[in-house]
Amino acid sequence: MIKSPVLYSLHKRGKQAFCVLFTLGLFGCDVLLTSTNQTTGIIYCSEGSPTNFNPQLDTSGTTVDASSHQIYDRLLDFDPQNGNVIPSLATSWTISDDGLKYTFQLRKNVEFHQTNYFVPSRALNADDVIFSFDRWRLKDHPFHMVAGGTYPYADSLGLDKLIASINRINGYRIEIVLHHSQSSFLANLATDFAVILSKEYADQLEIKQLKSKIDSQPIGTGPFKFVNFRQDSFIRYQKHDKYWGESIQTENLIFDITSSSSLRLAKLITGECDAMGLPAHSELEIIRQSKGLVLDEKPGLNVGFWAFNTSKPPFNKPEVRRALSLAIDKNALIEAIYFDSAIVAKNIVPPTSWAFQAEQKNLSYNPSAAKKLLQENGIEAGFTMNVWAMPVERAYNPNAIKMAELIQGYLQAVGVKVNIISYEWSTFREKLKQGDHDSVLIGWSADNGDPDNFYRPLLSCAAIKSGTNRAMWCSPEYDSLIDQALHFTQIEDRQYFYYKANALIAEQLPLIPIAHASKYQAYRENVKGFEINPYGGVQLAGVTKN
Amino acid sequence: MSRFKLYQEEFHPSPLQHTWLEFKENHLAVGGLCCFMFFLFIILLCPIFAPFDPLMQKTDAILIPPAWEANGGIVNVFGTDALGRDLLSRVMYGCRMTFGISIILVLVAMFVGVTLGAVAGMSRGVRSSVMNHILDSMMAIPTLLIAIIIIAILGTGLINSMWAIALALIPQFIHQTRDFVRQERKKEYVMAAKLDGATPFQLVTRSILPNMGEILVVQGALALSISILDISALGFLNLGAQAPSPELGTMLSEGIEVAYIAPWSIALPGGAIFLMMLSINLVGDGLRSALRSRLIH
Amino acid sequence: MLKVILRFANLVVLTLLVLSFFSFLLAYMFPGEPLANLTGVVRGNEQQLEALGQLYHLDNNFLVQYWYYLAELFDGNWGLSFSSGLPLASEIARTLPASIELSTYALILSMFIGLPLGFIAGLRHRKTTDYALLSLSVLGYSIPVFWLAMLMILGFCLQLGWFPLSGRLSLLYEVPRISGFILLDIMWSDLENKSAILIDALRHLILPTLSIAAFTTTIILRITRRSVIETMNSDYILAALARGLTPWQILFRHGIKNALMPILPLIALQFTTLLTNAMIVEVIFSWPGIGNWLIQAIYQRDYPAIRVGMLAVSTLVVLFTMSIDLLIRLVDPKKSKVERVAI
Repeated sequence: MIKSPVLYSLHKRGKQAFCVLFTLGLFGCDVLLTSTNQTTGIIYCSEGSPTNFNPQLDTSGTTVDASSHQIYDRLLDFDPQNGNVIPSLATSWTISDDGLKYTFQLRKNVEFHQTNYFVPSRALNADDVIFSFDRWRLKDHPFHMVAGGTYPYADSLGLDKLIASINRINGYRIEIVLHHSQSSFLANLATDFAVILSKEYADQLEIKQLKSKIDSQPIGTGPFKFVNFRQDSFIRYQKHDKYWGESIQTENLIFDITSSSSLRLAKLITGECDAMGLPAHSELEIIRQSKGLVLDEKPGLNVGFWAFNTSKPPFNKPEVRRALSLAIDKNALIEAIYFDSAIVAKNIVPPTSWAFQAEQKNLSYNPSAAKKLLQENGIEAGFTMNVWAMPVERAYNPNAIKMAELIQGYLQAVGVKVNIISYEWSTFREKLKQGDHDSVLIGWSADNGDPDNFYRPLLSCAAIKSGTNRAMWCSPEYDSLIDQALHFTQIEDRQYFYYKANALIAEQLPLIPIAHASKYQAYRENVKGFEINPYGGVQLAGVTKN
Repeated sequence: MSRFKLYQEEFHPSPLQHTWLEFKENHLAVGGLCCFMFFLFIILLCPIFAPFDPLMQKTDAILIPPAWEANGGIVNVFGTDALGRDLLSRVMYGCRMTFGISIILVLVAMFVGVTLGAVAGMSRGVRSSVMNHILDSMMAIPTLLIAIIIIAILGTGLINSMWAIALALIPQFIHQTRDFVRQERKKEYVMAAKLDGATPFQLVTRSILPNMGEILVVQGALALSISILDISALGFLNLGAQAPSPELGTMLSEGIEVAYIAPWSIALPGGAIFLMMLSINLVGDGLRSALRSRLIH
Repeated sequence: MLKVILRFANLVVLTLLVLSFFSFLLAYMFPGEPLANLTGVVRGNEQQLEALGQLYHLDNNFLVQYWYYLAELFDGNWGLSFSSGLPLASEIARTLPASIELSTYALILSMFIGLPLGFIAGLRHRKTTDYALLSLSVLGYSIPVFWLAMLMILGFCLQLGWFPLSGRLSLLYEVPRISGFILLDIMWSDLENKSAILIDALRHLILPTLSIAAFTTTIILRITRRSVIETMNSDYILAALARGLTPWQILFRHGIKNALMPILPLIALQFTTLLTNAMIVEVIFSWPGIGNWLIQAIYQRDYPAIRVGMLAVSTLVVLFTMSIDLLIRLVDPKKSKVERVAI
């Protein structure tokens, strides 16, 4: 051990040296602590990666958000205030008296995107519209099979069977002929899924034998053009200079893909995002209280539910499904998951819809009855089932995994063991479509105000194949009810059939409706013009930042 | 009448006593030891002391702040998490899980490592040289990285992560034992035993290993802190223990989701890991320097 | 000298062969059919499966398959990721530099802080300063890196709003990739507002770097301290003192060099620890590095990605360690291997 004066005198001068060093280190802090983003764009924090950039192929809200209103336009749009159908690419339309012939007049001088992979030589015309519809309508269309040949939205609504023919009258006028009249047809053309693609681009891809690029490198007429996309990181868009609508103020649009809602909120607080989708319900209060953040709310057209795979025993028995329904306490679930920003669902349509029946009753929470019913149906204690919980937040279910954990607790009390299963979102839906699940926590957001938009995609037989019928439930009685409802135009006439359908669902319980939640979005104070689109995907065209 | 002491007795502490005396002088290390004992106490007795079942969810008591916050309650001293589970119970059971598993893993790795290390230390030639090279490159890779690689193969889950960490800890013990055996093999007392006709097995078990105790304790403390860190890191990355189980790292990653509204749900489990690591490292440090100063004198 | 290098080359080739063979075997060790693990095709028709099987030479024996695997690896044809469908070679070329960059800056930072503090502690052995630094360092290496990162986010990002909390650069900026190291790329690029972008990149760097540097700093402090104590106690220092050299002369002529030489390789070896910690911290700060990427791949059971990613990381770590080893041997042939001094 050295205790020499050598070291003692050393340390004195050493001290000075380190003081200098530390001040050097602190130098320049001011510059670093303040954000100096020379902003030329909007960053929107989204919750997941889209599977592709064509909403014809996918009903997932993530895909719709990333493409429908950014890249594409539709023939018609919804008025966000009242839900009425308004002109978009079609400037006017006429309907024949028998309700079978629809004629649309197209807007002129609508330019497609010019990107480094495509340079358009002409503006939008009737060929593009016919191409876009024929792609999902005709099985032998050269592009029909490009992405696997399933068009969930069109298939689940039976649009391909509804349309008899689409005729080109002239360059800017088309005629659509239906097999039978359907009251919800115009609304269906205004949904996020009826987008218009470019035929010229498709032709070029066909020659180059790169057909699949049509969905991954999209070309549309919308306010933003696609630049690039990295899975789970970001999507970049640039403004479409020759957009036909109001000119776009922001140079760039970026989707920052952030799957965790608390991280999205954190980014919104630090200013890394200008706006975010789907704030967690537990964090709404924080957003309301935070200075500099704005929270928008609108009642949502949605339903979150717990669907059983009715093609798998023992879930093919309605009694088993009823027993499981008795075992869970919906009110408690709603309190824990939605933080009172949702209402308990009685059936699959929300109270804002005219097919809703206020007088319908809910099964109440009764674990002992559930246990008894399970035993009567041969389900012994120790029975194991899986609950699939979607990995992403949705307005209709902001935290499916947490809900699954709560359900796990409830079912344990009645002697059923639950395994919670979750995959990355696109894998999840892929496996779900194959019917690998016992039960799943998922939901549905409607794309227009017509109740058919709930009844048909969720539980019709046709929707099994198109992958939106998570219960794999097929009842001819139910199908005929909802088909008949569409032959009438008066609400009272249609209500008769939908009420019957409601009763059927309540009796058979292919799925347990859990909640109807409000729709929220949050943004920073300096963001203007960002409004909730009650009918589907997020719209960022008119948004500006100062 | 007490016995009259004619000669002042000279106190010759045994090596172990000597180490303890040195250790006792280091107040920080003694503090660490007390803390360590406290955690041992918790993991042994938490079924008795924990106020609630760590998995019990109360949907009417979600995200209650801990007792010392303005709107906290006395029922849930540490508050509750996003599913209404009592955090105090969860942290206690979490310590049991993280700490308990780590102790088991270290003991297993120690046993296997010492056995292999002794074999390596006694052997010579090509076999030994090849083994040394593999070992040396293994030693350079951080255990957590090895554990992640093993998990990538086995798949995620608590059991798999235990295998992974145990496997990743073994090389250190092999290395230590091998070097120690090599070094001791040349000493007189081993030579004497050898001349007495002891087999290599007897040499190792009766002569060499008994001298290794302290080194093993020090190495064990190091391994324990690594193992705690690795288990909780794997839990945190969702590669180890899975969601409902009260593992501290897993609890932390669950806490992220509510970090902003309920900072205690990450502060408390993280603090528990930190305290555990701190106590073990203090004890390890104290032991190391006690050993070192004993060897110097 | 030549013998050492040859031996080293030999060892490197052997190790690489072992690592690649191991990663080749992974396709068989993952649960499920090897073909499905390689291609992601689970429900293909027979013809398709057969064609794919031929592509991967699955009908040949192990060694032939391994040979083809090696050939593909050398061709830079590392397969496609299941989840993103992108070529893995380019994915790794994108993510690996990001992690190396983070670890390098953290290593530099911890040397800047750890070495001087280590010297102070060593020179003031068994004094208050020493005890204080030592106690501080125990705190530093007891704190779990992921917890520290979260606390930093809570404090510096959410409460104070000083730093951004995710990524390497604001998404508004797009810097063309040349080297993969963001600061270099910015300086090489010809973008207009270079300085603003550079500052933005630095702002993103600070917190991740600090949180992984904390652990390494304390390790370096302790290694340095131990080495300084040993050096200052050695006979030649006492001899120099006896000959009448001033304290500063002793420290600068003998002390620093002799204390630093044995520990520099050890400090360099900390890089592997940094890389591992960086892999965890990347997940928290959404840093687009290899750790974040690999852990996502494990979640999604993206087997080709896990296989190649593991190969890349372990090759990097092992090669790095072996090179350090070689350096030591070249500088000081008497030493047989890196001594692991106690901290």
